[in-house]
Amino acid sequence: MDALRLKDSFSKVVMHGDEVPLFFYSDLFIKHPEVRDLFPISMRVQREHLIGALAQIVTQVDRVDELGVFLQDLGRDHRKFGALAEHYDAVGDSLLATLAHFAGDAWTPEIAADWTDAYRLVADAMMAAARADEASRPACWQATVISCERKAFDVSVLQVRPEPRLDFLPGQSVAIETPQRPRLWRYYSIANAPRQDGTLDFHVRLIDGGAVSIALTYGQAVGDSLRLGPPVGVLTLDTTSRRDILMVAGSTGLAPLKAITQQVSGLAKPPHVHLFFCAKAADGLYDLPSLEKLAAEYHWLTVVPTVTADRRANGEKGTIPDVVTRAGNWSGHDAYLAGPTEMVRDVSARLAAGGTARERIHVEDFGWSEP
Amino acid sequence: MTLAWQQDQKRLTPDEVQAATFPLSRLGRRGYDEEHVREFLREVERELVTLLNEKVSLWNEVERLRKRIITGMKQGDAVLFGREDAHVHAVRILSNAQLTADRYVADAQAYSHKLTEEARTRRDEILLEAQQHADMVLEEAQSRARQAALATLNAPGGQSVETDRSALKAELAYLRTFGEVYRTHLRAYTEGMLRSIAEWEHNEAGAIAQATADAGNQFDTGRH
Repeated sequence: MDALRLKDSFSKVVMHGDEVPLFFYSDLFIKHPEVRDLFPISMRVQREHLIGALAQIVTQVDRVDELGVFLQDLGRDHRKFGALAEHYDAVGDSLLATLAHFAGDAWTPEIAADWTDAYRLVADAMMAAARADEASRPACWQATVISCERKAFDVSVLQVRPEPRLDFLPGQSVAIETPQRPRLWRYYSIANAPRQDGTLDFHVRLIDGGAVSIALTYGQAVGDSLRLGPPVGVLTLDTTSRRDILMVAGSTGLAPLKAITQQVSGLAKPPHVHLFFCAKAADGLYDLPSLEKLAAEYHWLTVVPTVTADRRANGEKGTIPDVVTRAGNWSGHDAYLAGPTEMVRDVSARLAAGGTARERIHVEDFGWSEP
Repeated sequence: MTLAWQQDQKRLTPDEVQAATFPLSRLGRRGYDEEHVREFLREVERELVTLLNEKVSLWNEVERLRKRIITGMKQGDAVLFGREDAHVHAVRILSNAQLTADRYVADAQAYSHKLTEEARTRRDEILLEAQQHADMVLEEAQSRARQAALATLNAPGGQSVETDRSALKAELAYLRTFGEVYRTHLRAYTEGMLRSIAEWEHNEAGAIAQATADAGNQFDTGRH
């Protein structure tokens, strides 16, 4: 396989823009109509993902180690979408047809062979990772809605029971799919530490124009079913640390931090936890009653409700980084941050400037921006 | 066959158009509006992509026709519409259908975005208005009650032996006036609410009557 020739041919094909993935999926669905069901109605985002993944693969095709990690994740990730071993041949077939179509007379047997080899490498890595993953867990979990409670006009708390039991670390997230929005998966943090009965809580905020969030905040009834992907994420408690903990939660970013707080309550000697729960207005502090109950129960927990844009509200006021820095010196703490991307970025920068070591600032870096 | 326009020489690509930058003109010298230039470049980029795609379609069409002629000559009768042609047409039809579906979903999403955003803004406005109104009512009740209390305290006959009594009287006057003002506002507010409900019912009845009439008319025209 000639990596340079491959890159060159890809850069020429990709010039045709959206037509390329459009041709690919149409070709695939005509040759294998049963595959269409594995995709959402609108394919716009899907097409962008395809080109993005192809670009990454082509860029790293001569650096197999880096590429391997990406492909293993991709292969495992595709299990919940319902990808099976036989689909890989179909996809390879349509990919080659697409490349040939757009390459025109630049398509030579040598280039065809390069692409065949490259695709084999990709498909084998993805399938191997998927097979290894199969041994340890299901592709996805069926979950039944046990309760759905509106906490604010735009926030609901969903409680579900997955089948079989889903093991996870407090602070981790799972992708959720609702039958009302088939084939659209969105990541949500689990808002509790593992329970005896295996139930999970999710805090869902309505995002304007969000396809999935509206179905999850307003459209769920007891007994409805959802599908959950495997747990992912690195915002988890550092159990080797003995330092006190600072938590900053913006809106439903509270979910993973509440889970971690519950985990702390089970430790033999809980560290002090200082939790800032932030929202624009007082009614955005949707879970304050339950937090205050926890704070009353645990002497090591301090909850600080913080409101950024509501002059009448009680509690701390001002921008979140200001409120947090004003409240104390956090250089000796472990920090856990979750919420809107900007908030996490700003607080993280301020803490680092104040002397908190970067590796002690724990954040998650996906999910929040997805509608 | 190598077509002249497929030759492997350096050509301007859509990416290069998109990435093009120009140095700013020196201060005080006239230059083009940057946003206009950007917009034009975006247009050029789109046009280039379209041309590239048309080119590739044409090339494929030529290839197919060429093959058709060759096979046609061999077999003695020309195949007008081969399997390959059918497939490419099917791909084109499905692609167009997919784009239409994408557009419908995007429109619905944009509409829902607009609706929720407006509802949120409206909710905030109503809340703010209500808060301001509540502040005003409270302030007015307090200041008028204070005046009433002062008036009672300063009333003639308030001797030193009666200090306790007159203080109590003053407090009573304060509370009574406070209550009165508050009740007046509450009544006005409730009446306002009732009026808007009545208005709403009236409008709804009117709309239903109108809709029934319209449907009737349509039915009539349908029969003619």
